[in-house]
Amino acid sequence: MTLLAKIRSYTRSLASRAKVEDDMEAELRSHIDLRAADLERTGLTSVEAHRRACIEFGTINTHKHNMRRSLGLRLFDEFQADLRFAARMLRRSPGFTTIAIASLALGIGANTIIFTLAKGVLLDRLAVPRPSELRLLSTVNGNHSPIANSWGTSEPAPGGGFSTSSFTYPVYQAMRAQNLKSPVLEDLFAFKDLGTDTLTTTMDGHAGVATGELVSGNYFQQLGVVPQLGRAIQPSDDTTGASAVAVISDGMWSRSFGRSSSVLGKVIQLNFIPVTIIGVAPAGFSGAASVQVMPDVFLPFSTQPRIAPWTMTETKPDGSLLTSKDIWWMLIMGRTRPGVSDDAARAALEVSLSQAVRSTVAVDKDMQMPRLVLSAGSRGLNEAKDSYSRPIYVLGALTGLVLLLACANLANLLLARAAARQREMSVRLALGATRSRVLRQVLTESLLLSSLGGVAGLVLGYFGRDIIPHLLSTSWSTVAVNTHFDVRIFAFTAAVAIGTGFLFGLIPAWQATRTNVSTALKDSATSTTRRSKGLLGKGLVAFQIALSSLLVVSAGLFTLTLLHLASSKLGFNPKNLLLFSIQAPAARYPAPQDVALHQRLEERLGRVPGVQAVSLTVQPLLAGGMSSRHFDPTDQPKRAGDTASAYYNNVSRNFFQTYGIPILYGRAFNTADTAHSPLVGIINQTLAKRDYPHSNPIGKTFCPGGSHDIYQIVGVAADAKYSDLRNQPPPTFYTLYDQEKEEPQMVYAIQTAQTPVAILPNLRAAIGEVDKDLPLRHIRTQIEQIDATMRQERLFATLTSAFGVLALILAAIGIYGIMAYTVARRTSEIGVRMALGAQPRQVRVMVLRESGAMAIVGVAAGIGTSIALARLVRSMLFGLTPTDPATLTGTACLLFAMAVLAAYGPARRASRIDPIQALRHE
Amino acid sequence: MPDPLDLMQGTLDMLILKAVSLGPLHGYGVLLRIQQISGEQLAIQQGSLYPALFRLEHQGHIASEWGESENKRKAKFYRLTAAGRKQLRTETTKWNRMAELIAGILNTTSEEL
Repeated sequence: MTLLAKIRSYTRSLASRAKVEDDMEAELRSHIDLRAADLERTGLTSVEAHRRACIEFGTINTHKHNMRRSLGLRLFDEFQADLRFAARMLRRSPGFTTIAIASLALGIGANTIIFTLAKGVLLDRLAVPRPSELRLLSTVNGNHSPIANSWGTSEPAPGGGFSTSSFTYPVYQAMRAQNLKSPVLEDLFAFKDLGTDTLTTTMDGHAGVATGELVSGNYFQQLGVVPQLGRAIQPSDDTTGASAVAVISDGMWSRSFGRSSSVLGKVIQLNFIPVTIIGVAPAGFSGAASVQVMPDVFLPFSTQPRIAPWTMTETKPDGSLLTSKDIWWMLIMGRTRPGVSDDAARAALEVSLSQAVRSTVAVDKDMQMPRLVLSAGSRGLNEAKDSYSRPIYVLGALTGLVLLLACANLANLLLARAAARQREMSVRLALGATRSRVLRQVLTESLLLSSLGGVAGLVLGYFGRDIIPHLLSTSWSTVAVNTHFDVRIFAFTAAVAIGTGFLFGLIPAWQATRTNVSTALKDSATSTTRRSKGLLGKGLVAFQIALSSLLVVSAGLFTLTLLHLASSKLGFNPKNLLLFSIQAPAARYPAPQDVALHQRLEERLGRVPGVQAVSLTVQPLLAGGMSSRHFDPTDQPKRAGDTASAYYNNVSRNFFQTYGIPILYGRAFNTADTAHSPLVGIINQTLAKRDYPHSNPIGKTFCPGGSHDIYQIVGVAADAKYSDLRNQPPPTFYTLYDQEKEEPQMVYAIQTAQTPVAILPNLRAAIGEVDKDLPLRHIRTQIEQIDATMRQERLFATLTSAFGVLALILAAIGIYGIMAYTVARRTSEIGVRMALGAQPRQVRVMVLRESGAMAIVGVAAGIGTSIALARLVRSMLFGLTPTDPATLTGTACLLFAMAVLAAYGPARRASRIDPIQALRHE
Repeated sequence: MPDPLDLMQGTLDMLILKAVSLGPLHGYGVLLRIQQISGEQLAIQQGSLYPALFRLEHQGHIASEWGESENKRKAKFYRLTAAGRKQLRTETTKWNRMAELIAGILNTTSEEL
């Protein structure tokens, strides 16, 4: 009760402060008047009475001071006074203030940028109600699993085998039916993000490109997403024979339809199939697959055979993945059911999965059923997390170190300034200020500095928030990270600013309160022979050197990684290759006419002047993409328990010649291999060693997964890196695309000495002659493609080098500052030494030795810490161990040299001290 | 008449509450009334009156409003609030108890030990 009254009174006093002051004055005056009146009545004159009353009462200001204290205003008034004083002090030394705010702004701004990135990648959740209820289903498979063909992502699982989140449609239907009978999750719904398999759109005669997501009928209802216009996809839309409908995203509604409500009922063409738009998804809804990337259209699964058909076997003319029992492609999610634990749901679903698999796939006796895993679905598939989470943590740690370094630097600077203010502090203490009051005042100064730095850092962070995604993007594939500024980022920046204020302000504040009042007030503030160690300042500098060495070591490691990657052996010649991809929409080019189209294009492009060779592949080399299939040597004895799959690539005849991959045995593909000649394949050395270790593979036959065709091996090629630079070339086999039944999308590699800008118009004209509606997608050179795989390493090398240089500069400033201060403080001592016979050289050595001692301690601590911490970044390095001796020794030498250089100026000044001047100095 | 006693620490608040409980008063009036009801035996430090009044108002035990004093001037009058009345009762009980206890201790003779 009292507390409430206090708070009320406090807020009232703050709100109408002027009135409170006036009232106080009036009340005290009226008291004096009343007393004077009483005194008058006892016979005094009015003037005398008034005088007596005033004397009795005492000074009004003392009363007011105590009254303010009763009102609880004292803290507030003192804080205001401290702030004004601090602002005045900062204004008086603009140089120091600018440097301090600039270094803080850089440190805090960098941390804000990294946090924005981290929030987008690690923290943001799907824009659906109660995302924590969502569960994503995935399987963990051993080496011999029923999953023969998959379209989607799979990762190696810890402990061997692989894990994937892809399921077949019949398995999904069986599991959903089972769940409806005895529910363990609310319901199972499915979706598939088409990703880079973009849809060709035709709207009002204009051709364009759109991304899509296939969804089940109960998807919107289960996710709880209500469209902002029209209706959502319903189970009735997801039946065979239902007309093709689509829900478009908010982004597409803005871009292509101007947010007009006439979009409902409009018919557009997707891959030349007419589709009716029935609704618009709410803003911010990015589907269930990813928080970052928003698909343009949502289509029911029933449209898949017409819009995005797929055939991998020879007996599937309808291209439907819905009836395919061997292709694992769609993702399944469900909301948790109250009362059913995750473990119970998982166990039940695993049983239902095994049943579904056994009833749909032909299972061998030594096949292992996949294990089911239920993971949190609140962030969708969260692919970004896997590839980005460790680099983000490392970057966050490094920027934190830079901020710490800036704080240490500031603490040192403030310590030096505090030494000059000793007299002021002792006067305050002598006048009766408590030590806590002085501490509060010095801390307020630091907090003001750090708040200004924080505001500047926030501005920096806002304008720079897209730097890192921008650096990681290329012209043909952007990295989509949500870098939206919201309350959490403000809160983070505020917390960091206040934290740094305390961090660097505490030490000078504590030092200020340790002033010995009597000595400080004397005229000569230091005595000649007292040798104070000044350990605090030296300790700070050693700390700075340790941090700098950490940052320089990291710069060295990441730069060397980049250099090693850039110079690693590729196994093929990337020079002079221009890449682009062409997709043949199924509506105009049903299989096998798409193969014929590519053959026509291959021949026509070869005739363009300036083109030395044209080569086609399904998978571009070193683009991070891969295709793998079971590799079944038909005339070898079955090897139990081995990985039976290999990477593969569908290529054109002159692939090996164009890319410069030598054929070691046998021959490459040639004109003798056509659609009507026997099926041929070429394997690489690694695959030959794995599956044909003791025999000659030439002439042997194999059967790729998902088909019953027998291919004959006609050649063995040298190993070439496949999807990324880090891993060794995997076992790979190549087939000829001319012998395929269908191949809608292929990547063309044009070998030419001309620049892309020069030759592209001719290429476009040539393609236009064959079909004027075919756009060239993802145009880049092979070298640009390879550089793109290194962009994360390049980003790291650049950032860490910048941090390293910044760290060196800050540490140098710190050493210079502290040595200059030490020399200035010990001027009289040095004067005595020189008067007693010390040579200038000896004085120089003395100063350098001090700085060297700090450097040795700092470098040892820093290198020790980096050895301990380097294990954490081992996975990001390439070609060197985390405790690379060259990097460590280089860093030690560099920092030691920097320490000596930085201290050389003060050392020289010390050796030039005139003893007579020095002794007179005090 | 014996010399006026100096007020013991911590009791000023209680006395102000009592003084105000008998009717609304301005600051000078509180001073006079306490002197009056103590029979001129108690002298209050001038410097501690107004801080105490403000403290009591801050805690919500008394409330103030501007009015007219006897000499037709503006003055701030204080009156007791319900919370203040309760506080006065509590403090009075505590004081009486304490006084009894201490008097009992001081009156102990050597035989009662």
